[in-house]
Amino acid sequence: MRAPRLLIASLLVAAALVAPASAFGKRLIIDGSTSMLPLVQKLASAYAKSTGKPAPKVGGGQSAVGINDAAAGRVDIGDASRDPIRGVDPKGLVFTKVARDGVCVITNSSNPLPNLSQELIEGIFTGAIRDWSRVPGATATGPIDLFDRDAASGTQDAFQQIFLGESLKISPSATPESSEGLEVSSVGSDPSAIGFTSFAATINGGVHTVSLGGVPCTLRNAKSGQYAGVRNFWFVTKGVPKGEARKFIEWVVKPGNKTVRSIVSSEWIAIH
Amino acid sequence: MLGAAAFAVLAIIVAMLVTVFARAWPSFSHNGLAWFGPGGDVDAQLRAMQQLQPLPGHSVYWFRAWPLIWGTLLTTGLAVALALVIAVLAAVFLTEFAPAPVKRVVDPAVRLLAGVPSVVYGLIGILAIAPFVNSHLISQHRKESVTYVVQLNGADLTTATLILMVMILPILVAITADALESVPPAWREGSLALGVNRWRTIWRVSLRAARPAIIAATILGTARALGEAVMLAMVSGGRGFAANPLDGLTFFFEPVRPLAATILQNSEGLSNQPVMHTMYAIGAVLLVSAAMLSLTGWAVRRRLGRYGIQT
Repeated sequence: MRAPRLLIASLLVAAALVAPASAFGKRLIIDGSTSMLPLVQKLASAYAKSTGKPAPKVGGGQSAVGINDAAAGRVDIGDASRDPIRGVDPKGLVFTKVARDGVCVITNSSNPLPNLSQELIEGIFTGAIRDWSRVPGATATGPIDLFDRDAASGTQDAFQQIFLGESLKISPSATPESSEGLEVSSVGSDPSAIGFTSFAATINGGVHTVSLGGVPCTLRNAKSGQYAGVRNFWFVTKGVPKGEARKFIEWVVKPGNKTVRSIVSSEWIAIH
Repeated sequence: MLGAAAFAVLAIIVAMLVTVFARAWPSFSHNGLAWFGPGGDVDAQLRAMQQLQPLPGHSVYWFRAWPLIWGTLLTTGLAVALALVIAVLAAVFLTEFAPAPVKRVVDPAVRLLAGVPSVVYGLIGILAIAPFVNSHLISQHRKESVTYVVQLNGADLTTATLILMVMILPILVAITADALESVPPAWREGSLALGVNRWRTIWRVSLRAARPAIIAATILGTARALGEAVMLAMVSGGRGFAANPLDGLTFFFEPVRPLAATILQNSEGLSNQPVMHTMYAIGAVLLVSAAMLSLTGWAVRRRLGRYGIQT
């Protein structure tokens, strides 16, 4: 008699463990761009908190993974941190813009560099240009002190993707800082420094923000699309989003959603 | 009840060890003993891991920790060596020579300093010391001489070692001074009565008797230096660069990054499996080092015990 009773008891326990997951309907599965991972994770848990639904399961990978997985139906939503490319992306995908992500190039306030071109940024950050004398408009002299962020940083990833693309790499001799604050204070205390940060960190940072191709690095110019150091974050779905995926995406892009707005503006640029 | 508490502590420690080593295993098994050796740019390897794009011809777990281990040995070794000399001299002054009013002020101040959180030292380091080193100690010429290899900007071996030394100094002074105080007066009086002068008495009697305590203090200091992450991540330069003593004076201005600081600097990418396993592997190395340190301390004190020195 004992064994069957044990069996029933353990089955009941197992059923009780499984029940909560299935009782509230399907859990959304999202994967794709690792750059978007921190944002989407925060959105997912805020979504669960404010709607009482199970939090979507969020994974990383690359933009291409998110796009292909969404097209193949392996995930409900794919994350892509690059714009759709006609002819490359599988047909029938819908891209919904959820946020923008961008970086400002910063220098010490004693070296108020008026402007940098894309070529100069490439040269300086890849280490091809190592002396301020080769940078027009610079008041600093001597070797350039290059400040990078850790490999794990989303800002680093944004800088890499926006300014250097797939093939170029930031010079390995750059000093990596582990946070935005340290990056700003290091650049702020070193007259020959150059680095980059998110938009939020440049406000009251005591550093000089460099214009890009004549366009100042401000939130307004980033939102309007004039400033080029910006990329878009997209949710990718197979066809028009349906069911739970639609509810989640609508919650994220709804204009008046204060929760989403405060999450996005902490490190990124809100679309509204 | 007490037994249960002791058992719970033991169980937690065992569970922690098992978790750390189990999670660390993939990193060690992919790299073998070469994990500890030199081989390429450790930052490039970590970056490849973060982006899940393996370096050409290698697995994504490819990792050679030597620059980080070397950075740990340098910062910890230099800081402890400097701190030990200064602490012994300071403790001798406090117990033997200091006038009572000085002692009344310095003694509590030293004990207070022992409790300063390391992030405060990090702040002072990054906002005051590193900019000073950058603008006053590193010449433009020195920067230019190595600009194609590494960048010198004040966050470096010197800054890290000096602040680390200041951090562990109070605990070394406090323990050494306590030990010198508790040397039986009769021993010193006996020595003096035999016509031995004051310095020789301090050297041959007081400091000898205090040796076990000095060793214990050194081990505590080393453990703190070894595990220090926040301050070192802020002021050591953050580059996984193996500073080269053959570079002459420039060596002291080269950036380093110790093991513990590496875990901190990669914490944003922990959701990434290879990074997570590698960080656990670094954690495992730090755990084993700390355990060996305790064992060494125990062994040394046991040896001293044989010569009749009380521990």
